[in-house]
Amino acid sequence: MLAKKAVGFTPALADSRWVKGLLIATALAFLLLFLVLPLVSVFVEALRRGTDAYWAALVEPDAVAAIKLTLIVAAIAVPMNLLFGVAASWCIAKFDFRGKDVLITLIDLPFSVSPVISGLIYVLLFGLHGLMGPFLKSQGIQIIFAVPGLVLATVFVTFPFVARELIPLMQEQGNEEEEAALVLGASGWQTFWRVTLPNIKWGLLYGVLLCNARAMGEFGAVSVVSGHIRGETNTMPLHVEILYNEYNLVAAFAVASVLAMLALVTLVVKTVLEWRFGAELAATRH
Amino acid sequence: MAIQVSGITKQFGTFRALDAVDLEVRSGELLALLGPSGSGKTTLLRIMAGLEFADSGSLLLNGEEALSLTPRERQVGFVFQHYALFRHMTVFDNVAFGMRVRPRGQRPTSTEIKRRVMELLELVQLAHFADRFPAQLSGGQRQRVALARALAIEPKVLLLDEPFGALDAKVRKELRRWLRKLHEDIHITSVFVTHDQEEALELADRVVVMSQGRIEQVGSPAEVYDRPASAFVYEFLGQVNRFDCVVADGVARTANGALSIPADGTVRGPAIAYVRPHDLGLSPCAAGPGRVSGIHVVGPDARIEIDLAGLPLEAEMDRERLSALGLRPGDQCAVHIARARVFPQP
Repeated sequence: MLAKKAVGFTPALADSRWVKGLLIATALAFLLLFLVLPLVSVFVEALRRGTDAYWAALVEPDAVAAIKLTLIVAAIAVPMNLLFGVAASWCIAKFDFRGKDVLITLIDLPFSVSPVISGLIYVLLFGLHGLMGPFLKSQGIQIIFAVPGLVLATVFVTFPFVARELIPLMQEQGNEEEEAALVLGASGWQTFWRVTLPNIKWGLLYGVLLCNARAMGEFGAVSVVSGHIRGETNTMPLHVEILYNEYNLVAAFAVASVLAMLALVTLVVKTVLEWRFGAELAATRH
Repeated sequence: MAIQVSGITKQFGTFRALDAVDLEVRSGELLALLGPSGSGKTTLLRIMAGLEFADSGSLLLNGEEALSLTPRERQVGFVFQHYALFRHMTVFDNVAFGMRVRPRGQRPTSTEIKRRVMELLELVQLAHFADRFPAQLSGGQRQRVALARALAIEPKVLLLDEPFGALDAKVRKELRRWLRKLHEDIHITSVFVTHDQEEALELADRVVVMSQGRIEQVGSPAEVYDRPASAFVYEFLGQVNRFDCVVADGVARTANGALSIPADGTVRGPAIAYVRPHDLGLSPCAAGPGRVSGIHVVGPDARIEIDLAGLPLEAEMDRERLSALGLRPGDQCAVHIARARVFPQP
């Protein structure tokens, strides 16, 4: 009797197959509808008139200029935020000081402010009629409607990505390894390069990937400070918008597909890293 | 190398962690800093290592003022409670770290580093584990790696912060013996922090008992156990029965008159008397003042709870002796005090 009962026993946490299947189906349908379908449609639209038209839209001078500009802006903004993010999370996670909470809140500010407003802040500060406008004009420096403005706006918007990724990681890891390194005779610099950085490298990489994706894809803040000068201050997202507004759909989706591919590459790189270094990743979080 | 601590004070906000502490650590000895949490023992150790700054006082390492020196200049070995091994490095690289970060001129060659690391791993019996990562080792093994790493810089002093605190009881005991033996072999001046009185008494040459940022007593394990300098030390080291009493004419009497204890001549008036459970003798006596209210057997020993006219007492003896006495819960008994200490009421 007892043995028979034991056979019919189901663990409390095992749901029936029906429930499991339903949940998985719902999740898949959702992903398909909201993620995969739009992504596929980008490529379908871009290739509607064949690969020649697709290619022509990408090598057209304005498009090339937009792609170059986007790469330049990201190449400046991402390293800046990498440095800032490491420095900020280092001082927040490893030291106690007055005003630490204020600093954490400030780092989060770009997340809570609308990107359009952050763009506007720079126009108000550095624009011709802005606070520092007359001074900048007299020195012959142009920030707004030029590359420096785009970089500033992008830096502001992508400010929190690296720091947000690193602060919890560094807080969890604590100070003991750094203290051990110091007692063993390492200098502060050696401690950072040999102990702190290796321990945070995966979190750092992830933060940089996210930061980069956002830097290249940012629209709102950049749109305000750019001035939309074709071939000069148009980044890829802005270029897409212009083409779209001109009903040049194939070209718009062609450039958009490049941005989409960037997102896919980011995702693949992240997955490969996690798969390749998964064990090490787990070890640094133990 | 000797360490001389004088007048070290440290304040965290409103909390005084160390209050003008004076201490001498003799060259080559193994000294225990013993105390409850918050007594300042870890803070004192970290100040010696340079990981914490003292507000005032002086610290001499081998006669040289050391408070202004950085940790790297002090050349101390430090072992952390939670090991603090570099998790991304192998055991070998962990131990080699201290030699590899030396300035170019003082850095040993890589063959010399290799020889030295393997020698140390041999010493801590972990030579086979050189290529493993810390996460692949047990707690006891990790702590031995941490010890080898600390010894690799040829420190003048070894400082250990609750080195066995994170280990389970059996490993703790093994590692304790092993550390004692290691100290006998290499004779490096060592200071370790612990809140476990058994650990301090078993391992150390001398024990420093601390409480609330002050040193209560310094002495050999036998000294502090047999002749506690204060009521705190008496209570902290081992089990104790405590009575409020009044001393008159060299005799301490409890308020209900159930117990009278001989007191030395210096104490007068309200006092506290302490008797260790194993200094309390019992004998069956139908007209005795005590009643056995409970018996607990812990391994080879028995703890007997006595109700002495409303006063709860605990006695301890081995089980054979208890069965020879034939005492059972509910029996009446007589109580004899072999040894007691009386301290004036603070």
